[in-house]
Amino acid sequence: MTETKAAPTRERAPITARIARVRVASWATAALLVVAVVLAIALQPSLLSPYGIASTFATFLPLVLVAVAQAVVVIGGGLDLSAGAIVALSSVVAVQVMQGSDDRALLGFAVAIGTGLACGLVNGLIVSRLRLQPLIATFATASVFSGLALLVLPTPGGTVPAVLTGTFRQAVAGVPVSVLLVVAVALGWLVVRQLRIMRHIRATGGGPAAAFASLVPVAGAQLASYAFSGIVCGLAGLAVLGNAGSGDPFIGGDLALNSVAAVVIGGVALRGGIGSPIGAIAGAITLALASTILFAIGLPTSWRALASGLVVILALALSALGAPRRQR
Amino acid sequence: MTETSPLVRLSGVRKRYGGVRALQGASLTAASGEVHGLLGPNGSGKSTLGKVLAGSVRPDAATIEIDGEPVRIGSPRAAARLGIAAVYQQLSLIPDLSVEDNLVLGQEPGRAGFLSRREARRRARPVLERLAPALGEVHAEQPVRELAPGQQQLIEIGKALLRQPRILLLDEATASLHRDQVAVVFEITRELRDAGACILFVSHRLDEITDLCDRATILRSGETVAATAVAGIEPDEIVRLMVGDVQAVERDHGARPTGPVRLAVRGLVGGALRGVDLEARAGEIVGLGGLQGQGQSELLLALFGATSSTGEVAIDGDPVRLASPRSAAARGIALVPGDRGSQGTLPPRPIQENLTITSLRARSRAGLLSGARERAAAQSMVEALAIKIGELGDPVSSLSGGNAQKVVFGKWLLTEPVVVLLDDPTKGVDVGAKAEIYRIIRRLADAGATVIINSSEDRELVTVCDRVLVMFEGAIHAELVGDEITEERLVQAALRIGEGAQRRSGAEEAA
Amino acid sequence: MTPTALDGAPQRTTGQRALRLLRDPVVLAALIAILLVVVGGVLKPGFAAPDQIVNMLRVASFLGIIAIGQTIVVLSGGEGIDLSVGVTATLGAILASRTMNGSDALLVPGVLLAIGVAALIGLANGLGIVLLRIPPFVMTLGMLGVVSGLVLVVTGGVADGRAAPALVQLVNGRDVLGIPGILLVWAVLAVLVTLMLRRTSFGAQLYAVGSSREAARLSGVPVGRTVVSAYVLSSVFAALGGIAMVGYSQQVFLSLADDLTLPSIAAVIIGGTLVSGGVGGYLGSAIGAIVLTVLTSLLTTLNMPEWARIVVQGVVLIALLAVYGRQRRLRA
Repeated sequence: MTETKAAPTRERAPITARIARVRVASWATAALLVVAVVLAIALQPSLLSPYGIASTFATFLPLVLVAVAQAVVVIGGGLDLSAGAIVALSSVVAVQVMQGSDDRALLGFAVAIGTGLACGLVNGLIVSRLRLQPLIATFATASVFSGLALLVLPTPGGTVPAVLTGTFRQAVAGVPVSVLLVVAVALGWLVVRQLRIMRHIRATGGGPAAAFASLVPVAGAQLASYAFSGIVCGLAGLAVLGNAGSGDPFIGGDLALNSVAAVVIGGVALRGGIGSPIGAIAGAITLALASTILFAIGLPTSWRALASGLVVILALALSALGAPRRQR
Repeated sequence: MTETSPLVRLSGVRKRYGGVRALQGASLTAASGEVHGLLGPNGSGKSTLGKVLAGSVRPDAATIEIDGEPVRIGSPRAAARLGIAAVYQQLSLIPDLSVEDNLVLGQEPGRAGFLSRREARRRARPVLERLAPALGEVHAEQPVRELAPGQQQLIEIGKALLRQPRILLLDEATASLHRDQVAVVFEITRELRDAGACILFVSHRLDEITDLCDRATILRSGETVAATAVAGIEPDEIVRLMVGDVQAVERDHGARPTGPVRLAVRGLVGGALRGVDLEARAGEIVGLGGLQGQGQSELLLALFGATSSTGEVAIDGDPVRLASPRSAAARGIALVPGDRGSQGTLPPRPIQENLTITSLRARSRAGLLSGARERAAAQSMVEALAIKIGELGDPVSSLSGGNAQKVVFGKWLLTEPVVVLLDDPTKGVDVGAKAEIYRIIRRLADAGATVIINSSEDRELVTVCDRVLVMFEGAIHAELVGDEITEERLVQAALRIGEGAQRRSGAEEAA
Repeated sequence: MTPTALDGAPQRTTGQRALRLLRDPVVLAALIAILLVVVGGVLKPGFAAPDQIVNMLRVASFLGIIAIGQTIVVLSGGEGIDLSVGVTATLGAILASRTMNGSDALLVPGVLLAIGVAALIGLANGLGIVLLRIPPFVMTLGMLGVVSGLVLVVTGGVADGRAAPALVQLVNGRDVLGIPGILLVWAVLAVLVTLMLRRTSFGAQLYAVGSSREAARLSGVPVGRTVVSAYVLSSVFAALGGIAMVGYSQQVFLSLADDLTLPSIAAVIIGGTLVSGGVGGYLGSAIGAIVLTVLTSLLTTLNMPEWARIVVQGVVLIALLAVYGRQRRLRA
């Protein structure tokens, strides 16, 4: 198939065309983020102090990680309501293994990731091999994982090695480690995204039947998306430990809901195939800033939960209105 | 025959869907270096035969030989291993991936699990360049979602080309393409053929077959009736082979109904519809003919208020606003939809509930239903339509296609409709039940209802219709009345319109 | 999906009948419940004593009443699920007990207030799902956050208010032939709900919408209205379940019924209602609620720690889904 006289197809679209093609959702995501940042800083200028930045980003990190995990699963056409429980389980396992000793920090690291991976594989196998509806299946595994977390650490406690909590509060060349970590998550995604399996995950979410017909290993892609999610949730468990300095088997409570909200705000379509974890990161930061803002405007404590609940549901409704509807 | 052993040989291929025999001992032999046409009227099984070879339909029985070796093809993956690639009218593209990513989907090049964008581009480029004259302005990075349907179809073809198949199945793959795009695809097809590949070509368009194919296999009712060289054969001869010995189909019609105009439609536009005008009288059965997918189903759905459309619709002279199926049903319109499984029946629910769901309001008092009245209503339809069931409480999914379809008829008969819309009502229905359904339709018309029927089988239109409107690209292009309605006339009308308008729209596009 | 003969119903042998009966999820669930009671009685004498059984049924009634709404929502199909029933039950309990505050005279206003607020919550869920086309789990998960916020606003973080004596007597007394009145209420509700599902237009339309939205729409069924009603009913029954719970505990807690969401879904699935919608009924869910309650009591009796109970709950649900809720393959 050569010798054609026709003009070769241009490979790169002109820059204007490419900008025009940036989806509205990512504009909306960016706009929301900017508004949240501006409001938060205006209301609480101390956020901009080095300490403010460091501690703010440190509190962001777990949700940022879980949002990335959730985004990959959702892009693959699935859903993980057990993400919070995986975070809780891997964090308490790591606490128990490390026993507050710096020498065992590395071991704790590996154990947290391993626990997350194991949970992810359980989810993945249930969804891809048993073909159970992801929603209820991961809701059920969430129960299993939180039960196990209670077994490992019945009440909040335990000590986290100083090296972990310490690193979290340090700065490298003036930049807080927590900021570096959030940036590292984003950069890490840019590498991971180049994996062949990520392409297959996206294709599976975008159209399982079409992907199957194109010889994409659909079940393998589903399994991989949950496994990846589990690993990242394990990392989030470590971030939780670094923040809190002790273990808590109940820590995962709101993470599942908030990660789904972050993903939706970040322009990832719940029907799969569309969006990027980078958007989910922006969504997570927006959400986290929203609660900072609610705190800053001096809302009574008892109203805060309602307000943040309303913020989440409003964001979901807006995203649903803006999202392109599936053609009938 | 040629001296070498044929590349593809299928024989004794049988496939049943429920009570319907899609293939009953069909066969196909094609050599490398030839373009082989698969021809047959709607529902003759040509697509099913192609899908058996491509591994996406599992036959009940079949002998398949590739290169003289007996093989089993259990999945699309197995077919790919044998060098078989298939392109259908139904696309398998991921809308949100780019053109390039779609082209290499499932066979992405790379190292150590990482994608190689450069290598993907290197592989995709020649295919895109080859398709460029037909594709027009398309960028490799553009999401496929943004492409026109014809361009998407070309990308789908490109995907198959990238696999460098020995055997390429093109099943209606040119249906959404314009003439100049088709020409490019033909050019590529011939190049492939000259390089020794075997191309199986399924198309409704007779001119495409005569233009491209070296040989052709003709199917009728799931059987292979002829395999012939294409050169030198008259188009009329092919039509005759497709339709069979021209035996007049029984038309059990009385005089043409002369009742008042029941349904009047003016300038109906929306979706695939581009301005439909029609009038139908009380007691008249009007057929919608033409190639499949020219807006027949869309017209019926629009008349039922199920899709949004604009235009004037009147029943018995009163204008009707078709806002929803609910309001259409309230005006005495009924629709037997095209997909029985997903649109017609509530598969897991009992037969009784399926029969009564449309007419609950008439029998309920303050929202309460009487078990006895519901049962009586359902039972009356089971008897009137001779539906063969076990118990009224059995799920409707336990019924055969014909009986399930009678349930769909029954639920609407209980509403005593004045306009009955039928979308391919005997699809997947066995011969005996077909005849009974024709009788039901006739009885409906005799009772004064207006019936509009779309059918994928020309023979059906000949059997039941008083008048047939031939549709093309969302509008009505011809009308056949009374004894003008013959299978040959229908096939000719469909193809002729196709040719003429095809050129016209192609020219418009180019301008 | 029991295969049924096409050509008339031929004589079925007794064996086939028994087998058919065993495949019925409702019968199976009932057998499991009985088996659990027997096993408990063997392991711990007294577990199967009549008093103990009445007590277990009493506890099952709260879950059972909440599961009414969950059943209706799951039946409505379209991935229907209500993740906000637990917190809605809690809110209902809090509103009712604050209103009645230990007075019988204010029992009815308290219940009506709780039902009214719950109906609004359900309406918001339904409208979000139907009009904005937010997936049910997202909408109700978001609502979970909002309602738990509402609980804090209403209580200011401190739950107070007491159940009316009449309510306590209804749940904890044994007035009706020696059994608690709440069991009678539950039974009446079960009959009414079953009649609603089987003998009203709404019931028929709910099943139709659940088995195929498109076919229901093309049969002239008001799909949107039916789905919204399902979510309203779900929240209302959740509130009623929460109120019954206050009668039992007499005091409210901020997380009184929060943990009943997962069990309510599990009860529905044990009862054989398909998660894909359109197939099932309430009797199964009621028995499912009993199975789960007996299982929990058994684990408690055996001194199983809390973690084990939570894990078992999840494992049971996955096992049941594997039996009833598998999705179709990509290739036919």
